Amino acid sequence: MLKGVHQKLEAQQTPAFFVRGPSPFSRMVFFCALSISIMAIDARFNYLSQVRQAFIAALHPLEVVANAPSEWYRDVKKYFSAHNALVQENYALKQQAFEHQIMLQRLSTIQAENNHLRSLLNGNIPIQPKAVLGEISHMGRDPFTHTVVVNRGSQHNIKAGQAVVDSKGVIGQVTRVYPFTSEVTLITDKELSIPIQIERNQLRAIAFGEGNNTLDIPYLPTNVDIKVGDKMVTSGIDGVYPSGLAVATVTKIQQNPESPFAKIVSTPIADVSNHLQLLLLELPEAKESELIPPAAAEVVNHKKEDAPKKNAAPRKNGTASKNISSKNKAKTNASH
Amino acid sequence: MRHTSLFSLYFTLLIALLCQLFPWVGQGIIFRPDFMLVVILYWLLRAPNLCNVGTAWFAGLLVDLATGSLLGQHALSFSVAAFIALSYQRRLVLFNTWQLAGYVTALLVIERVVILLLKLFEGNDNPGWHYFWPVITGLLLWQFMILMFGGLTRPKTN
Repeated sequence: MLKGVHQKLEAQQTPAFFVRGPSPFSRMVFFCALSISIMAIDARFNYLSQVRQAFIAALHPLEVVANAPSEWYRDVKKYFSAHNALVQENYALKQQAFEHQIMLQRLSTIQAENNHLRSLLNGNIPIQPKAVLGEISHMGRDPFTHTVVVNRGSQHNIKAGQAVVDSKGVIGQVTRVYPFTSEVTLITDKELSIPIQIERNQLRAIAFGEGNNTLDIPYLPTNVDIKVGDKMVTSGIDGVYPSGLAVATVTKIQQNPESPFAKIVSTPIADVSNHLQLLLLELPEAKESELIPPAAAEVVNHKKEDAPKKNAAPRKNGTASKNISSKNKAKTNASH
Repeated sequence: MRHTSLFSLYFTLLIALLCQLFPWVGQGIIFRPDFMLVVILYWLLRAPNLCNVGTAWFAGLLVDLATGSLLGQHALSFSVAAFIALSYQRRLVLFNTWQLAGYVTALLVIERVVILLLKLFEGNDNPGWHYFWPVITGLLLWQFMILMFGGLTRPKTN
């Protein structure tokens, strides 16, 4: 009799209310493991950049819709901006153009002279990089990084690693390229570094972004010849940024008695928040790769693969340890 | 009690993604609520038969792709928050408005903390207390969702 009851119970099905597949906990564990592995893959390898590009391209219409209200607002504001202000601006711009024209006349003669002198010295004539005009469509959406998104992408022959400047100075570098847009990492971002030169005394150094709208020049001794107000320009030895572009001005120098290095803080000259237009400079063609031996070329190529990510491989500790290791090598060589 | 459907779920998620894509500038980005998170939490608590931890994970992945952050960060934090939301989901019908608001605040804080931990692992600086503003704005958005799509299922008391 008991047996019969048992059979009856077995024949019953679980009510649909209780059927919910695996428990939330097991689902959570599964999806956490999945996202951790995705994070590891995204951080270490480049497999997922294709996925990201395809997704951003698919998202482009949605992005256009999202950007529409602010663009309408801008247009309406433009329409209603006072006539008087426009006349004034026009007058000021004309005056500026006139001044620039006079300066340009001098520049062309000086450039010709410079090229001539360089050819006398058997030096290379610097090439003027081509540039594409882009417009900032919005700031980056991740509040932790300093990026802007520009409305030029791989459809306009933009490549990762290109330098980006505005009328005042260097803004940053293209780090990710999507079909219609590209992501520009600002020089103030923690992961970007830029080789610079102090304009006054031609001192070379590397400036690192601090992550809070300032740049830092680490590993310079406390007695280094840098003053507050010094202008930093690009040195051009990295092959990404053409030389002589304004980067930042030194605003603060701290000398900590506990540290052998001076803390040099500087603020960027280029003003990203006030401009919409910027120039994306074309990458210089790597001709050196033909001259250097294949083993070295391999290293260069390898570096280039890394370069688009961010050209700041040697972060603070990295550079320090490198210096130390090279010193140690020198010592061991001497002892031998 | 208003009707729930898969369509309204995915439609609101799409709207949330659109809001996430909106070009937030300056101070706006500090106060921006986590649209996707609030919407997915709402649907998880309102209609757990329509969505699950997996849906939250996928929504988080979309946020990662849209914001350009490391892939999987938001996916991880969303699925943790979704799990905690679901584990007390059956009891929530007994909560009053204030208790529910407190519960949602706790969920939003947990998600923020998970993201903060991941970002700190990545080598970012501590952003300071203003990092938790989206919790407050997210709570406002939560109230708006309840206004729009009805409160949580509750037995009728006559």
